[in-house]
Amino acid sequence: MTATLERHAPEPRTGPPALDVRGVSKVFGSGEDAVVALDGVDLSVAPGEFVCLLGASGCGKSTLLNLVAGLDRPTSGTVETTAARPAVMFQEAALLPWLDAGRNVELPLRLAGIGRAQRRERARELLALVRLEGQAAKRPHELSGGMRQRVALARALAAATGLGGEGKSREEAGVLLMDEPFGALDAITRDVLQAELLRVWEATGTTVLFVTHDVRESVRLAERVVLLSSRPGRVVREWATSTADDAEELHGDITGELREVISAHGR
Amino acid sequence: MAADSTTTTAATAATTDDDAVDLGRGLDALDTPTEQRTPLWKRLLTGVVPPIVAVVLFVVVWQILWASAIWPEFKLPSPEAVFGTIGTDVADGRALSIIWTSISRAVLGFLLAVVIATPIGLLVASVPLVRSAIGPVLTGLQSLPSVAWVPAAVLWFGLNDQTIYFVVLMGAVPSIANGLVSGIEQVPPLLPRVGFAMGASRSQSARLIMLPAALPGFLGGLKQGWAFAWRSLMAAEIIATSPSLGFGLGAYLNEGQALSDMPSVMAAIILILIVGIGVELLFFRPAELRVLRARGLGTGP
Ligand SMILES: Nc1ncnc2c1ncn2[C@@H]1O[C@H](COP(=O)(O)OP(=O)(O)OP(=O)(O)O)[C@@H](O)[C@H]1O
Ligand SMILES: [Mg+2]
Repeated sequence: MTATLERHAPEPRTGPPALDVRGVSKVFGSGEDAVVALDGVDLSVAPGEFVCLLGASGCGKSTLLNLVAGLDRPTSGTVETTAARPAVMFQEAALLPWLDAGRNVELPLRLAGIGRAQRRERARELLALVRLEGQAAKRPHELSGGMRQRVALARALAAATGLGGEGKSREEAGVLLMDEPFGALDAITRDVLQAELLRVWEATGTTVLFVTHDVRESVRLAERVVLLSSRPGRVVREWATSTADDAEELHGDITGELREVISAHGR
Repeated sequence: MAADSTTTTAATAATTDDDAVDLGRGLDALDTPTEQRTPLWKRLLTGVVPPIVAVVLFVVVWQILWASAIWPEFKLPSPEAVFGTIGTDVADGRALSIIWTSISRAVLGFLLAVVIATPIGLLVASVPLVRSAIGPVLTGLQSLPSVAWVPAAVLWFGLNDQTIYFVVLMGAVPSIANGLVSGIEQVPPLLPRVGFAMGASRSQSARLIMLPAALPGFLGGLKQGWAFAWRSLMAAEIIATSPSLGFGLGAYLNEGQALSDMPSVMAAIILILIVGIGVELLFFRPAELRVLRARGLGTGP
């Protein structure tokens, strides 16, 4: 293992976007109590790109992610993805407590009707990818929070990439949607898992849409940071992290803008 | 330190990466919950010894009460007389046939109850209309002593096995169905969402996610259902006695009363208790423990 964790400048990406959100609005409820969670959001993510969706609490990040995941329908607008089904990872690992780690990872493959032996082999590969080799027989309650979240990552990768295999194109590398996946972890574990996620992303070429409200996390992980405003959620601004020479300055910039967005609500 | 600067940087890069791996491994090692397995002898000591001591104490107190002759013999026989009755009944095979009659009825009735209650529970849990219609009735029936059904059942079916099974079903079905409903209710909503996000169809979600997730609650319902089935059966056997009905534990108890044979009455009560507790300890408790332990929810011995 000599893979470095340094950021590479993104390669030019061509072809249709891996996911394309156009003019999406989402209204919860109706009449007086209607909450406009999203209003005319446009977002397009290239295959293999890592995008962070940043915004204050309650601004509609999860709502947008659920729309992309197909767990909910937009009130208006369209969501298109190249992947048949984007994989999702939540703040809780949401592993099935009666299945061991290996079988949890196998589950999406099982749902897709893939045979036992192939599933096993793929689960073993993916667990090794998240540095959990030899832990396939452990039950979720026997794992730490960080390990559970890595099993969930392996499971999401199984869902996103199926049986995987070498020589697959970026389009087939799947789409991974992550909703504050490290939000419930302690600082050191979060730091380690962020590094792991980057390593896995570089190794698999998966497209990632990552929701967070932590500016530092977004600057560290993403190639592109997208800031959402609150109530209604709209795209306020975007930053490309590769063009910024100074991460601290970029962090300062984004934080300033986020504060601006939040205080606009106090006026 | 090496003189060549390029090897130095390569070496540092390698060590930082190794450090990261070590850090990850260290976190895994520190955070992994350690499971404390109590040794078998300790579990036996804390799980088996106290109830035995309690039973022995109970018999001793009984013996003392009997010896002090506060109550006449026909009201409180000696432990020896009662265990003697059980002994002779077991020896001549009568106890076995009586117990078999009751157990086979209870088991058959219980299985029938499972077959009936499971679809009801599934319907109530998954169809809101059905839920608001019969959910409260189901809960209400659970608190209605099923012995209340005996007179009606006798009038409807006459003195035969149908009456007995009807009463057993009325006792067990609501518990089992309610157990399944609450089991399904307690499934964290995130699980079916995750299943759907992974591409589970409705039937896959029910089979591979909802039902296994609801299993602990369902098992609780089954356990309670068995207890109710056994109780209802005893009530039915005591009240509905007839030569056309087989001779079970309830009938044995009833006969004891008719003959003013206190040792027989107490022997019957003890046998009823033993069967009820035995089935629970032999079947339900181990199944429940296995299911809970596999999910890291196991408590106590
Ligand atoms: N099912 C729902 N019904 C009604 N309102 C909802 C529903 N889901 C979300 N909302 C509202 O939509 C808005 C956006 O919610 P959402 O969960 O997407 O925010 P978020 O950015 O993910 O917040 P957080 O950082 O706290 O996770 C909130 O104001 C919330 O109250
Ligand atoms: Mg959220």
